[in-house]
Amino acid sequence: MRWGMVVDVRKCVGCQTCTIACHEENALPPGIFWRHVVDVEVGEYPDVRRAFLPMGCQHCAEPPCVPVCPTGASQQRADGIVFVQYDMCIGCGYCAVACPYRARHMIHDQDWYFMAPTPSEKKAHDPERHGVMSKCTFCKHRVDKAPAGATPGVDPEYTPVCVSSCIANAMHFGDLDDPNSNVSRLREEHQPGVLLEELGLKPSLFYITE
Amino acid sequence: MAETRPSAKGRISTPIALMPAVLQHEWDLYHATWFTLMGVGGGIFLLSRLMRLERGLGVWLGLPVVDLVSFAVISAGGLLLIWSLGRPLRFLRAVLKPGTSWISRGAIADFIFVVLGGALILPGLTLGAAPPFAWLPWDAWASTTAGRVIEDVALAAAAIVIVYAGLVLADKAAITFWRSWAIPTQFVLSSLATSMATVMALQTANRTPIEAAECWLLAGSLALLLGAIGWHLATRTSQPGKAEALARLYTTYGAFFWVGVIVVGTLLPMVLAVLAAVAPSARDAVGLLSLVLTLAGGFVLRLLTLRVGYFPPVSGALRVPKR
Repeated sequence: MRWGMVVDVRKCVGCQTCTIACHEENALPPGIFWRHVVDVEVGEYPDVRRAFLPMGCQHCAEPPCVPVCPTGASQQRADGIVFVQYDMCIGCGYCAVACPYRARHMIHDQDWYFMAPTPSEKKAHDPERHGVMSKCTFCKHRVDKAPAGATPGVDPEYTPVCVSSCIANAMHFGDLDDPNSNVSRLREEHQPGVLLEELGLKPSLFYITE
Repeated sequence: MAETRPSAKGRISTPIALMPAVLQHEWDLYHATWFTLMGVGGGIFLLSRLMRLERGLGVWLGLPVVDLVSFAVISAGGLLLIWSLGRPLRFLRAVLKPGTSWISRGAIADFIFVVLGGALILPGLTLGAAPPFAWLPWDAWASTTAGRVIEDVALAAAAIVIVYAGLVLADKAAITFWRSWAIPTQFVLSSLATSMATVMALQTANRTPIEAAECWLLAGSLALLLGAIGWHLATRTSQPGKAEALARLYTTYGAFFWVGVIVVGTLLPMVLAVLAAVAPSARDAVGLLSLVLTLAGGFVLRLLTLRVGYFPPVSGALRVPKR
């Protein structure tokens, strides 16, 4: 099993709902965004196009952030999810400078939006996350809760919140190793590309661009 | 992004920067400082011991002053490194992954160096009239087999301490400006130059004559440093991320780089060292001046290396509609 995402760039409208949903789900402090949508313009007048690309950790199969970690806090699970074991991280920042997707963010201090934590901030607040590196976890706390019979990527409750909140159905999550999964079918049908393919990191985020 | 399939509805753009190059902000002043201190601290021990100069550089409480200076500088660098961590109290965990992480290897080398270096000089410690550790089967000058073994391991650790800061940047970082053998080469040469100047300054303080070979070593290190900087600036200049770094180095930090690093921190002490090599009377003054110049130049070199560190653009090809 290897979890992955397929993003249909043709459908993304750049509403940033995924950005906010991720921010709320994970109680991220101001200025820290594990998921964000890049607004790009390509072509030359009059043949131009504006496109939106949801960006974040690419959960690479060969993640450069994992081997550089001096403590082993930066880890990759058997299902491909790359995450930080907060209680092992010393906050050296090496993984952040090793990631070409700039997907790692140091949380220096917990900072609330409104002086005191809001109920949602309080709910997901993790004091172990201060002074350490943080990143998208593919919402493993949701994925791991899936009971037998439920399928992350199909059942919204057990799907990364950026995917389940997408208003345009532009983001899809599933098992890249399962030929019958939603993401495998999309890959088969559209042959999506990956970012910075030349680095050979084998990212798990695929982008349909045509 | 990988090339997508062609379609009649438009053309595929050549890969463009979907996200432009951006500066890294993780590592800055603290890191430049501990990179410098580690390099110089390791270099002082390495050069003085390899050149067998430690006896002429002063003794305090029975201990070689040059070794104490080395430990003090390394310790200051280590404390700053720990202070720069997000979770300083967990610093001991930094030694857990030497198989893949240069920070881990460096941390282990730091600990080995301080422990073995300290153990090496311990028998010389004299408090009042008594040396309480004289029973140890070696002395501070490594004149016995046991002492030489400890010294050799400490020297190897010191060598790693000097080189690892550069390798942390060059080995696996995503920042293209850092990913070159020129970076550890520069850091090592800069460390050796400053260390040589420190040893010369200690010789002056102890009225020990400075040999011409030391001046040539200082000049040679700086000449090679200039070559390494030139090599780094001249190669792969259009590489994404490096092009932006060079532009920033030449504009925003142009004065600091050309005047601070190249002229004041490298060329000037190199010329002075050559003069000192042929004019013995100038050696004391040149040693002291070179220490100040190379220390400042080396620090600015490291700081600018960090400050022009750009993540390369995240590029990909997108379909452009034909109107």
